[in-house]
Amino acid sequence: MITLLLALALLWPFGVMGHAVWLAYRAPEAQRDYFSVLWLSAAWPALLLAYVGEAQWTMDAWMLGGEWELNSLSRPWLAFTALLWSLAAVHARGYFAAEQAQAQRGDQDAQRRLLRLALLWPLTLLGNVLLIIAQDIASFYLGFAVMTFAAYALVVHTGTQEARLGAKAYLILAVLGEGLILGGFLWSAGAADTLMLQGVRESIVSAEHGAWMAALLCLGFGVKAGVIGLHVWLPLAHPAAPAPASAVLSGVMIKAGLLGWISVLPLGHAQVSGALAQFGHWMLVAGLAAAFAAAVYGVFQRHPKAVLAYSSISQMGMMTALVAMGLVAPDVWPLLWPGLVLFAAHHALAKGSLFMGTSISEHLPRWPQPLVWALLALPGISLAGAIGAGMVSKWGVKAPLYEMHHESLIKLLSWAAVGTAALVSAALWRQWQQRHQGGSNREQWGAWLVAVIAALLTPLWLPLPAGSIEMPPLKEWLGIMWPFPVGVLFAAVGWLLTRPLTGKTLPAGDLWGFYAFVIGAVLVPIRAFGHCCGQLKSVSVVTAQKAEKTLMGHLTRLLSGESWLRHHTSGLMMMLAVLLAALLMWEGQR
Amino acid sequence: MNAAWLPLTALATSLLVAVTIFALPEEARRLRTTINIGAAVVKIILVTLMVRRVAAGHEDIFSFQVIGGLDFVLRIDALGVMFAGLSSLLWLGTTIYAIGYLEGSANRKRFFGFFSLCVASTIGIALADNLFTFLIFYEMLTLSTYPLVVHRGTEQALNAGRVYLRYTLSAGVVLLLGAVLLNNLTGDQSFSSEEGLGDYLNDHRGLLTLIFILLVSGLAVKAAMVPLHGWLPRAMVAPAPVSALLHAVAVVKAGAFGILRVVYDLYGIELSVELGVITGLAVAASITIIYGSLRAIAQQELKPLLAFSTVSQVSYVILGIGIFGPFGTVGALAHLLHQGLMKVTLFFCAGNYAEELGIHRIDEMDGAGKRMPLTSIAFTIGALGMIGLPPVAGFITKWYLGVGAIQAEMYWVVAVLVASSTLNAMYFLPILHRLWFRPGPSHGKGNWPHEQRLGRLETHGWLLWPMVFTALISLGAGLFAGLPYSPLDWAARVASGEYLP
Repeated sequence: MITLLLALALLWPFGVMGHAVWLAYRAPEAQRDYFSVLWLSAAWPALLLAYVGEAQWTMDAWMLGGEWELNSLSRPWLAFTALLWSLAAVHARGYFAAEQAQAQRGDQDAQRRLLRLALLWPLTLLGNVLLIIAQDIASFYLGFAVMTFAAYALVVHTGTQEARLGAKAYLILAVLGEGLILGGFLWSAGAADTLMLQGVRESIVSAEHGAWMAALLCLGFGVKAGVIGLHVWLPLAHPAAPAPASAVLSGVMIKAGLLGWISVLPLGHAQVSGALAQFGHWMLVAGLAAAFAAAVYGVFQRHPKAVLAYSSISQMGMMTALVAMGLVAPDVWPLLWPGLVLFAAHHALAKGSLFMGTSISEHLPRWPQPLVWALLALPGISLAGAIGAGMVSKWGVKAPLYEMHHESLIKLLSWAAVGTAALVSAALWRQWQQRHQGGSNREQWGAWLVAVIAALLTPLWLPLPAGSIEMPPLKEWLGIMWPFPVGVLFAAVGWLLTRPLTGKTLPAGDLWGFYAFVIGAVLVPIRAFGHCCGQLKSVSVVTAQKAEKTLMGHLTRLLSGESWLRHHTSGLMMMLAVLLAALLMWEGQR
Repeated sequence: MNAAWLPLTALATSLLVAVTIFALPEEARRLRTTINIGAAVVKIILVTLMVRRVAAGHEDIFSFQVIGGLDFVLRIDALGVMFAGLSSLLWLGTTIYAIGYLEGSANRKRFFGFFSLCVASTIGIALADNLFTFLIFYEMLTLSTYPLVVHRGTEQALNAGRVYLRYTLSAGVVLLLGAVLLNNLTGDQSFSSEEGLGDYLNDHRGLLTLIFILLVSGLAVKAAMVPLHGWLPRAMVAPAPVSALLHAVAVVKAGAFGILRVVYDLYGIELSVELGVITGLAVAASITIIYGSLRAIAQQELKPLLAFSTVSQVSYVILGIGIFGPFGTVGALAHLLHQGLMKVTLFFCAGNYAEELGIHRIDEMDGAGKRMPLTSIAFTIGALGMIGLPPVAGFITKWYLGVGAIQAEMYWVVAVLVASSTLNAMYFLPILHRLWFRPGPSHGKGNWPHEQRLGRLETHGWLLWPMVFTALISLGAGLFAGLPYSPLDWAARVASGEYLP
């Protein structure tokens, strides 16, 4: 039964894609509904699958040997992923309603864009689902690659200059990441002769160069997770992508990087070597640096979605730090991971609803304004940890850290939450500045509302192991909630201080320009070298041809010499005979 | 029981077809087509029979003495069947494709005659059991492909043919020299002898190395290893089915297959390691891989780009030989098949674009995905496979090569593999972007260079279905690599024969 559901979850997106193709070729233009109920249902079987129970599948014929599993980690992960995909799909139906109407009126460009999105959206989802249930390297890598490359269509959708730049940054870094992941997988799996993620974890613990393997894999997945230095695609791609695409991109797809880390790193393993623990420290520092730097840089962004992208970088930085704790202090991991999963799930839904919210503020519904803005702010407040699921998830990671006496990290994470609060208030402020009345439809705000509610109630529906998450005790509430008002205050003070500078903003994608400059500078000598080589080659070809010509010339002359000989054969023979006779005579006379 | 008729019949099917086609008049189009396809199907049946016999542990040999001490021997072994299977499978595909491609053009009799001769040579190469037999078919291949390369008869084609002959004939001389030296040293040396040349190691170390270098550099010309690859990008002027055949099965693969034979069956893997020539092979292959990819990035036209991609990809096979250990060998053998399947798909696609829309340059491909969706999907599958992304077959080989390199402690090979993947992505992804994401003539922007409506579907059915077939097999070979008789499974079978006597 559950196997049937699994097959359905993986095959359903293909059916949806088939329907989209059928639509494009068979249905009359005016009746093409790219976002039909069937299309919306692409993620539903997967969502159902997450709630059915635990299971395991082994398939020898599948690639290098397939092993899929629904366990205590992959079930909640699949649940929040599939839920956000379903909600974003409904939101997309509303978001693209105008474009669809355009397409139905016969606009070729809109038809092309929508068909592309309708086809590649389910494919991206499929990759995402596969990588969650995969326990073998090949399936995991397959899911990751399918998701990464299919998502290109989601980013580039509008086809504007910004979208193309964002998509380019996304793709370049994705290719870099895929290369690093491949290298890391080959190295670790080759050293231990394994095909399973479990084997990779063991290999990293036992191998001599385990820390380097871990570094390769971490950087590779870090592209997706927005590790500092590799994060530049996020603030470039998010503002350019349509809101529902940003929601899944920032909500669940960057979480795939996090899941990658959890899958390949020997977190909580008792015999973590010194080098690996050292690597964990570096990761911790990188995570915290991202958490703070993104907050400081992000609040000065003009575009609300760019601010939210920086907020994602900051949040992922916090999660990076928590993952690193699994290496630095392995004994804390068994207590910490449910909290981390809750953190990730809550961030997914909250960030998803914040991104959907940007499309709401651009098309404000005719409701009482305070209500709309309160609703728009809710997921942000929760993200900062002041209410609802945010508070529970903060406590979920804080409690184990308290228990194991990592107070300094808790303090740092609290201050990072101040940054989160500042970022979400800055985002809301930007949304307020760029608001527009009217135009949002039922699907658009419906999906958004459900996402907001789901974000606030995350612990209630997430299928985590029983008893792993509890409400924070009342006396801790202040310790969890204080970053929010402080963050809002910081944002307000910062806004007041930088008011004289209005009109000047920091560019989104901070380091992108720098990277482009460096690569351009490096390419110059390489091009020159290539040019030199080309010239050298052409010179040597010319020389060789000349030499050959000379040689052939000599040969031809030799041949013509032969014909001269032939021509004068009789005379020459005569001369030879005379010469011989003379020789004989000279010999005879002696 | 020795079924001596089996290798002989397999060889004779294509040879007889060649003779029959030359005897038929130019106008007998239908009869020629029937004979061609019929023979290709018969060949596949024969190869299936061979596969079953090898799997059951039989070794069928056909031999006769030419002169004292020199025998003509055909033998069916696992490695040979692998190559024979590839060539017979793709022969069917390319024949069907070529019939569609050359519809209505001149000199079809000549073309198909030499085409069959060319396939007969590859079967001979696959089944040859000693260097002498191998050489005969190897040279026959050179000569039978020349008329195909110059088929169009233009100035450019004739020039390319001249360059092709220069490279391959001089390589043939070098190869012959090596073979003669070896024959002098050891007498007739069968590929199936258990001990290899290990007995001669102590007294003739230098000579053995010299012979190895002669043999391999002679073979490396056909395998298009840098710096002996110059003929391949020029041979691009040939019609698309010829390019497909040249790149996927016949010439390039014959070179790689020859090197496989020399290292594994003639010298034996232990001796090759002992001589230290293995690492040299790996280094040369790595240079070729990177160089080919770099040159491919700079190409403006589709077929030369694919040619440089072949230069790079075929050296994966050589790289796999250079990695000591079962994984490297499995990777090399599997890539022999995988690369063939993927590359043939890509060339079919390139041919379809050229025939249907007149596209030759990469910047003309904007938006072709809408006009020719199946072709573009097949191209996407092939390109992703070349990059080494799952689930296409290319990933499987990359995986085995990488793991093999780690286990042989050649860590730099992994760096080469990753660099090559990235470079492949750098020249294939922009094409895919053009195909699917840019508006082009099918969206009302500009015109195709030379559009023809060849068929009811996106193009002529004879051009379309072979491509769909090979694309599906490339996908299936990756997705279901664990099935019995998949390329990977068969490669593992051959490799276990090499390493576990």
